Amino acid sequence: MSRPAAAIVNVRHPVAAYRRIAVFGGVYSNALALEATIEDARRREAEAVFCLGDMGGFGPHPDRVFPLLRAGAVLSLQGNYDESLASGREDCGCGYTDPRDNHFARISYAYTFAHTSAENKAWLGSLPRHCRVQLGGSSVLMCHGSPRRVNEFLWESTTPNGLLRRLFRDHAADVILCTHTGIKWHRALPGGQHLVNVGAIGRPENDGSPRVWYALLTADAELEVEFVPVRYDHSTLARQMDAEGLPPEFAETVRTGWWTTCLESLPARERARGRF
Amino acid sequence: MRGTVPVLEARGTPFPSAPFVRFSTLWVQVTGTWCNLQCVHCLNASGPRDPWLKPLCAERVRHAIRESEALGVKDIYFTGGEPFLHREILPLLGVALAAAPTTVLTNGAAISEATVAALASLARGAPYSLEIRVSLDDVDPERNDRVRGRGAWARAVLTIRRLHAHGLLPIVAATEDPGGEGQVGPGLYGRLRDFLVDLGIDKPRVKILPLFPAGRLAGRGGDLLSEEVLDGFDRGQLQCAEARVVADGGVYACPILAGLPGARLSAGDLEESFRPVPLFHPACVTCFETGMTCRNA
Ligand code: SF4
Repeated sequence: MSRPAAAIVNVRHPVAAYRRIAVFGGVYSNALALEATIEDARRREAEAVFCLGDMGGFGPHPDRVFPLLRAGAVLSLQGNYDESLASGREDCGCGYTDPRDNHFARISYAYTFAHTSAENKAWLGSLPRHCRVQLGGSSVLMCHGSPRRVNEFLWESTTPNGLLRRLFRDHAADVILCTHTGIKWHRALPGGQHLVNVGAIGRPENDGSPRVWYALLTADAELEVEFVPVRYDHSTLARQMDAEGLPPEFAETVRTGWWTTCLESLPARERARGRF
Repeated sequence: MRGTVPVLEARGTPFPSAPFVRFSTLWVQVTGTWCNLQCVHCLNASGPRDPWLKPLCAERVRHAIRESEALGVKDIYFTGGEPFLHREILPLLGVALAAAPTTVLTNGAAISEATVAALASLARGAPYSLEIRVSLDDVDPERNDRVRGRGAWARAVLTIRRLHAHGLLPIVAATEDPGGEGQVGPGLYGRLRDFLVDLGIDKPRVKILPLFPAGRLAGRGGDLLSEEVLDGFDRGQLQCAEARVVADGGVYACPILAGLPGARLSAGDLEESFRPVPLFHPACVTCFETGMTCRNA
């Protein structure tokens, strides 16, 4: 695999200004959803497409996502999974503390580590952690978990406004975009700042539907935040997962839209919405 | 007593220290060490008589919550002792929930059906998640009650059932090998999950905690941490790098050591306590070795 063009990965010093951007996170080796997402974003005239990290894990054939990121000129950040793979760490660094979560995380990580080429690992290691762009009049800061920690979970029900005010102030941003939890949400503070967790495209969001989501942000008179559902060939993905010997629990999630693993990190409110 | 307890500086002590990285978690030791049970492994030796650490008045708690909200707290935890012995626990949970997601740690022995209904109503109306963590050390009543006291199992299980029936999803917290028998082991997690599923709880949540050489088991403490042992370890991972505890007598480093003079970081001001923590206690070795956190996840 040839090295990706520098322009694709170099978002270390972006001063770019946009009117409409598409942002997603958590690809989790789901090349089919990635392809469908990039296509959808282009169709909706996104001027740039950003990925907030975690290219691998969970799904089959991790190396299949890299050519798509490159061909789609996706501006990518490094997630905790990417960092772990690139540095040869023993675990995914997801920050789970629960034995069941960790059991499945270990299986997924071992598979992904073994099936990601050295070249792609090196590429993951070259990605930046943060990215700042101008969207209309707003200064937008993108990160993986939170601006202060790559594997911090910002769930809707456990992220208080006081913390958000502190993050906006400490990081001099009007808009913060993050992922890592796998479930999208958006909150606008009275001061006009926005926190958008863009969710994940690699795995459905525990709502009983196999579709996945990305975020489209448009700078009009006001900032417009739209979550866009993406349908893709999830049956084929599930079959590929089965063929690769990944845990049947993973494929079940892809087929049904209900999470069967990584449940223990969910706060009460988000957990209550799911089936398990 | 409390006026005479010195506030220790990490610098100038013979102990290694943990840095203050950021303020994420406020712990409120709302009932001090006042508890309706007297578990043999209690990490702060709580009990029904003469608590060595007094409960907090409601105004002190409200002040701490206001202070922590202004400082950008991420989550709030109520502990003790048994928090549900505090006369104002429900309104205080309401105040906390208006500021941040809130967890209350309980043995489940003093929670009535009416209290569970009130908690469910609080949870529904709050902007953030309310978590109820109920301690249960074994699926076997006898083994559990051997460490937690007679009748503790039945009352905790009743509370777990009631919480579930009201749509709250309790986290069941167990201490590994609480009786020090060395025979509980890693199967405890699975046994508790299966037990909850058998009770009809379709979203079982379990947290396992290690045994700490503190409180009633302080005598088991051995070594202390040293600079040598900690060489190369990221001390910012210790929970005292991100948490502070408001308890009688001041602000302390962590919920395990709250009330101990060596863990006291300020006389009451939260921000003043944002400084390095001396790792002076054998319990610090357990944190270092297990990577545990007292938070939910
Ligand atoms: S017991 Fe653990 S959390 Fe408390 S001061 Fe020691 S290392 Fe920190």
